[in-house]
Amino acid sequence: MSYIPGQPVTAVVQRVEIHKLRQGENLILGFSIGGGIDQDPSQNPFSEDKTDKVNGWDMTMVTHDQARKRLTKRSEEVVRLLVTRQSLQKAVQQSMLS
Amino acid sequence: MQDRLHILEDLNMLYIRQMALSLEDTELQRKLDHEIRMREGACKLLAACSQREQALEATKSLLVCNSRILSYMGELQRRKEAQVLGKTGRRPSDSSSPAERSPCRGRVCISDLRIPLMWKDTEYFKNKGDLHRWAVFLLLQLGEHIQDTEMILVDRTLTDISFQNNMLFTEVGPDFELRLELYGACVEEEGALAGAPKRLATKLSSSLGRSSGRRVRASLDSAGGSGSSPILLPTPAVGGPRYHLLAHTTLTLAAVQDGFRTHDLTLASHEENPAWLPLYGSVCCRLAAQPLCMTQPTASGTLRVQQAGEMRNWARVHGVLKGTNLFCYRQPEDADTGEEPLLTIAINKETRVRAGELDQAPGRPFTLSVSNRYGDDEVTHTLQTESREALQSWMEALWQLFFDMSQWKQCCDEIMKIETPVPRKPPQALAKQGSLYHEMAIEPLDDIAAVTDILAQREGARLETPPPWLAMFTDQPTLPNPCSPASVAPASAWTHPLPWGRPRTFSLDAVPPDHSPGASRSVAPLPVQRSPRSRGLCSKGPPRTWLQSPV
Repeated sequence: MSYIPGQPVTAVVQRVEIHKLRQGENLILGFSIGGGIDQDPSQNPFSEDKTDKVNGWDMTMVTHDQARKRLTKRSEEVVRLLVTRQSLQKAVQQSMLS
Repeated sequence: MQDRLHILEDLNMLYIRQMALSLEDTELQRKLDHEIRMREGACKLLAACSQREQALEATKSLLVCNSRILSYMGELQRRKEAQVLGKTGRRPSDSSSPAERSPCRGRVCISDLRIPLMWKDTEYFKNKGDLHRWAVFLLLQLGEHIQDTEMILVDRTLTDISFQNNMLFTEVGPDFELRLELYGACVEEEGALAGAPKRLATKLSSSLGRSSGRRVRASLDSAGGSGSSPILLPTPAVGGPRYHLLAHTTLTLAAVQDGFRTHDLTLASHEENPAWLPLYGSVCCRLAAQPLCMTQPTASGTLRVQQAGEMRNWARVHGVLKGTNLFCYRQPEDADTGEEPLLTIAINKETRVRAGELDQAPGRPFTLSVSNRYGDDEVTHTLQTESREALQSWMEALWQLFFDMSQWKQCCDEIMKIETPVPRKPPQALAKQGSLYHEMAIEPLDDIAAVTDILAQREGARLETPPPWLAMFTDQPTLPNPCSPASVAPASAWTHPLPWGRPRTFSLDAVPPDHSPGASRSVAPLPVQRSPRSRGLCSKGPPRTWLQSPV
């Protein structure tokens, strides 16, 4: 079992919809993002969620800056993400076996 | 009235057949005959259809056949005109000018087409009630050749429309124009009048509210597109579901790249149209081109190369000009058996070539010198040809190659790989596609277990081994990051077929598409290749940082 960055992969995802909050005159999401195709993945302190798509934009091959820009567009009040996480597979497997 | 229209249509077909016969153009004639027969079959099938989805397939085949017939007819007329002009002996005014150099032909392949959708929030997440579905397909035209993709059913659970087809056009010039058109039709009957008896429907249509009235009127309007006319002819008098042009674009040589690119789509239908889909406005695809000069030898013959050093030691070789190289083999057979050439000289846009006659070499004075610049150095190879005629034919081949490189531009930098498309399976019986959203409404913060319960019920036990994508969550990737570009792609790279797949998201709520899902798609470790150049990303070395930003 191996995953090579930059090569295609199929994964189980979950849809998440987030409405942005208003802070002063900005719209914020209220969390931070890390990583990007131009970042070193071995320095990732978390291994929780990985984002595949934001509002229809493909996030699997973006740099950190491009990802940040796509999430912070002024004109969009709602952000729809396709997210994958390790626990999804465990949950799927558990329910399969039971 | 309908009967008369039928007779007229049949008469047209007869006329077209006669025209094709009279031109004695057997290939085009054969293609026309084939399309006419297909069309008759599609008409019969459409009349015999009971299910809406079958009718959609049959209508699509019919419309594509009609368009192909029209385009072949146009081509026949052009050739007939050219024939007639040739016979009357008309010559261009400047008959003494040398023949215009024409660029070599090539093959163009478009694959991995994907059109993103953009659903409004109310439709995307609160999927209660009936699932509205559309049937869509893409039509591609290059010259007189028309190709179509399979028909795909689209509903709110899809984030984009992905076509698995890979389409090849041959005998293409560098000035090609590939027109792409997206057609859609409602799977359910159009308008809010489905099921109502005809008389009631006509009464209702005149007294409807504002928005539904507009919709009904829009569906009654003809399906003509604004601006240039669409490839597809309007629905014939036969009846059946109507396809509407949703979007179009034209791709040319500038769009060709050995990787995925996103292009803009011109949207052609408005929201009132019953078949309107919320398109994001772009299309992603891989458009590759292989000019013949890159894949086939353009010249070959005996040459003599000067060996390294000052000595007048000329070795006899068999030279083959192919793509951007002049290969010099020891023996003519080596070119076919795959032996390494004795010498390879690069021929590219920067190369300079000179013909000359050397007095110093008695007996074989006809020389060709090829100069390349590598950094600050200039390397010149001098080659001797057998005779003046041989020299001229080598020079001619080289000038043609330089011309082709100037016309085909980026396609001549390196050979782009093109896979021969697999013949398409006939459309299988379409099962009714349900959606998990029918069974429950999922709030974004809901328990994962609730969703997986449903999934387990639908699909049964599967997958004992952990799927490959879980490796994304382990600490170290197993292979070094291939984002740093390799300096020289090794020649053996072409023997490993790269899977031209894209990352696929396998949503918990959508029915898995027909092609093989994650478990059987191999993600075997590949030797380090050039990084996929989607969106022009190219990092300069292994990344060293881990940035985090608030959003």
